[in-house]
Amino acid sequence: MKQHPLCTDCENPVTPLDLPIPAGLKREWAAVETRRRFLGRSGKVLGWAALAGLFGELGLRSYANGADINSVSAEGRNSLGLPHFAPKAKRAIYLFMSGGPPQMDLFDYKPNLASQFNKDMPDSVRGNQQLTGMTAGQAHFPVAPSHWPFGQHGETGAWVSSLLPYTARIVDDLTIIKTTNTDAINHEPAIMLMNTGNMNAGKPCLGSWLAYGLGSMNDNLPTFIVLQTKTNPKENNQPLSSRLWSSGFLSSEYAGVGLRSGADPVLYLADPAGVDRDVRREMLDTVEQINRQTLAEVGDRETNARIAQYEMAFRMQSSVPELTDLSKEPQSTWDLYGPEAKQPGTFAYNCLLARRMAERGVRFTQIYKRGWDVHGDVVGVLPTLSQETDRGAYALVTDLKRRGLLDDTLVIWAGEFGRTVYSQGGLTQDNYGRDHHPRCFTTWMAGGGVRPGITYGETDEYSYNVVKDPVHVRDFNATILHCLGIDHSKFTYKFQGLDQKLTSPVPAQVVQGLLA
Amino acid sequence: MIAGHNLIAAIRNLRFRNVPVQWLFTLGLSVLLVMLPFAVPLGGRPHADGLQFLGRFHPLLVHLPIGMLVLLPLLELAGTTRLALREAAGFVLLLTLATGAITFVFGILLAYGSGVMGATVTRHMWGGIALLVELMLCVAVRPAWVSGQLHRIYPSLLALTLLTLTWTAHQGGSLTHGSDYLTRYMPGPLKKLFPSASAASDAAYVGSVYARHIHPILDAKCVSCHGASKEQAGLRLDFYELLMKGGRDGAVIAPRNPDRSLLLQRVTLSPSDRHFMPAEGRTPLTTDEIAALRAWILAGASPTTASIPGSSTARENADLPLQPVGDYSYLMNEIRQMQSSESAKLVAVSAMPSDGLILRTNDLSSKFDDAQLARFQRFAPFIVEAELGRTAVTDACFDTLSKFSNLRALHLEGTGVTGQALAKLSPLSQLTYLNLSGTKVTSDALAPLKGMLNLRHIYLFDTPAEPASTSTNRSTP
Repeated sequence: MKQHPLCTDCENPVTPLDLPIPAGLKREWAAVETRRRFLGRSGKVLGWAALAGLFGELGLRSYANGADINSVSAEGRNSLGLPHFAPKAKRAIYLFMSGGPPQMDLFDYKPNLASQFNKDMPDSVRGNQQLTGMTAGQAHFPVAPSHWPFGQHGETGAWVSSLLPYTARIVDDLTIIKTTNTDAINHEPAIMLMNTGNMNAGKPCLGSWLAYGLGSMNDNLPTFIVLQTKTNPKENNQPLSSRLWSSGFLSSEYAGVGLRSGADPVLYLADPAGVDRDVRREMLDTVEQINRQTLAEVGDRETNARIAQYEMAFRMQSSVPELTDLSKEPQSTWDLYGPEAKQPGTFAYNCLLARRMAERGVRFTQIYKRGWDVHGDVVGVLPTLSQETDRGAYALVTDLKRRGLLDDTLVIWAGEFGRTVYSQGGLTQDNYGRDHHPRCFTTWMAGGGVRPGITYGETDEYSYNVVKDPVHVRDFNATILHCLGIDHSKFTYKFQGLDQKLTSPVPAQVVQGLLA
Repeated sequence: MIAGHNLIAAIRNLRFRNVPVQWLFTLGLSVLLVMLPFAVPLGGRPHADGLQFLGRFHPLLVHLPIGMLVLLPLLELAGTTRLALREAAGFVLLLTLATGAITFVFGILLAYGSGVMGATVTRHMWGGIALLVELMLCVAVRPAWVSGQLHRIYPSLLALTLLTLTWTAHQGGSLTHGSDYLTRYMPGPLKKLFPSASAASDAAYVGSVYARHIHPILDAKCVSCHGASKEQAGLRLDFYELLMKGGRDGAVIAPRNPDRSLLLQRVTLSPSDRHFMPAEGRTPLTTDEIAALRAWILAGASPTTASIPGSSTARENADLPLQPVGDYSYLMNEIRQMQSSESAKLVAVSAMPSDGLILRTNDLSSKFDDAQLARFQRFAPFIVEAELGRTAVTDACFDTLSKFSNLRALHLEGTGVTGQALAKLSPLSQLTYLNLSGTKVTSDALAPLKGMLNLRHIYLFDTPAEPASTSTNRSTP
């Protein structure tokens, strides 16, 4: 560029602002300059916006043509590259013990505690842990040994409390984990962490991840089904919410489908009087046309999910009645599950349904049992809780095993945390209470992929801290994914600029010691 | 070392092309070599450590003469066009003989010093002797070949030497890495050509803790030195009776007394201890394996006991490593059609095509019949799992299924099969899982399955064949 004879600095040319003129004039000039810039810029911005709109429309069209990245078709699923390796388990059944079962009354045998009755737990054991508001104010932390005797069972000699006589029969098939631990001490964050890998809502749960990643094995049934057990008003029932089986940022077709425990497992599923199946089909076809129009206009991927759900509901009209029709179950089933299994809504009934779903190709079934939040009257409530769940869990594992399904089904039994060894409230000779305890709690798995007949990890004398082989919730979930053929670190979904995964950003590890 | 000196002298003599003397040397040395094993027998008794110190250089040195010997035929071939290379070949041959002789001496020192004995060691030693003799003969006849006489003798002698080398090296490899080093991870079809030696062990104790847990540990970690091939310290651990008999230092297992069992003492020493086993830096036993040995000895070290209370029964159902089934990618279009159609689906086991396909009929179940199954015959070799539970297939399905050559799992629960044609499954060597629950199969119909050793999980719940106990999970190792 040719240099102006008067200009000495080409890089920073002289502007009116550099002139020796009154400040008021300078301000006026600056304002003018800004306005000019604004107009110039806004022209460009509008141009970009128009261009983006053009491209956007192309994008929408591809949405409407079904090339939605989120709603993974059978073909698109191949692009996820899942399972990463040949899985041991094709499906999973999760028995969720909401409330936090007391590990030292069920599995974590601490014979030495008997001599510690009513003595204060040493401060060194508790360390500087922050307690819940319910016991933080207690002056004493008296040790409450378990009220029930323990026994060794099976070939493997695993210790189980007398509260669980049925579970004791299957210990050789179980992988008992004494050192599961979590970060949260209150129900909602802990149960969210357990199910979604994150304490905050908005993340997909384990079942949704599996539905998204592995897909359906039977197009006529939901991939992920949630069964709730009827509550017992005598127990301390913590609320459950659909956040726990939410698909979070994944398309809502991967959310868990809840089956009700009454006579009508899915409300309004049956055709109303005067509407036969052909009429219903026609109606659905028309609705789908309208939905496709909407999709083409708006491009919200949730419309796709809606279309898929209408179709699923149509197919469920015949598949769900068949699923819940127990009339053809042989007598051996009732001998195994017990008479309770005939009443819809009991834990045993749900376990039986879970077995039937496993046979029919439901990928993930989660059964919730509430009431384990035993802050007080452990001696009064725990036998009821154990009796309600013990036989169902035993029957499920046994039934799966005799029918050859346990080879490729992973059964998981877990709550959101454990309970304290010290008594909440007054400790008497024959009763006590237990507060929340996140540092160690007992869970078990059985079936495809895990090593049967082992008790993994060790806790200290007070069942308070992990001494050996801790299994954090993230590791727990990573191990579950591993059994289903998924490398948890590679199974991600881009959202909010992050490669989101079930095992959250903190590194997790598959627990090799649990694997078969 | 005397042998070494003689050899050097022999080599010197060769320079003079004094044919009769040279032949005399070759002959004399050969006789000496053949006598050697009788003069210095490998009795299984260890000798001075100094000998072993030198001897341990044998595996190090051995690759030098091997390399040169393999180079030799290449040089001779190239020598037909470039004379310089032929001259080089002569030098390499002499060098091979010299280094080979030194290696041989070190080998004898190793065997004699460490006190090994056994069939493989003996074979390896005779191989070494044969090699030296053949090399000397090569040296003796080569000048005639170079000068254009005796066209055939030297090349055939060289070929024989190479064959001997291969065989001897294999024996040596078996000594260091174990006899199943090459065959362990061989693909299934090839494996059938080589009946495994370790498979034929203690057939009498099938299903016991010893057969399921203890023998596999010993087999993996100990038998390469304490087995039929080496018998280090006169101890063999490949059969129960030999294990209990012990070795030169007496019994190694004291039933009910793990702390006084020499075997357990040796594997639990500090790895730096010179008595630590497995020796020479081989993979030590894991804590789980030691625990299993301890529990078994504590329970009486019986070969027949089927369970030990308090010990883990894990891994007895550990499945076979998956056999790759080949790549089905070229069928991908048809597979996709199957996946999107209303019919049964072909689903990939995993993202790795070699893991095979699953035939999935859940969507149809009762509408899926033999004719539809027959349509999948085209994918037969890639289907590793057939989910035919609750479908309408009948006994005729076995005609199609018998062609699913890589089938690992077969679900026929709740179908109309009667089991009459189960014999047709016998060619399916990979089949490990068969679910016949809820069918009309009788125990007589199961007889043809007895010969299928990999078929470890048979489910007969709710059938006439169901035994008294509810579940049948045959565990044949």
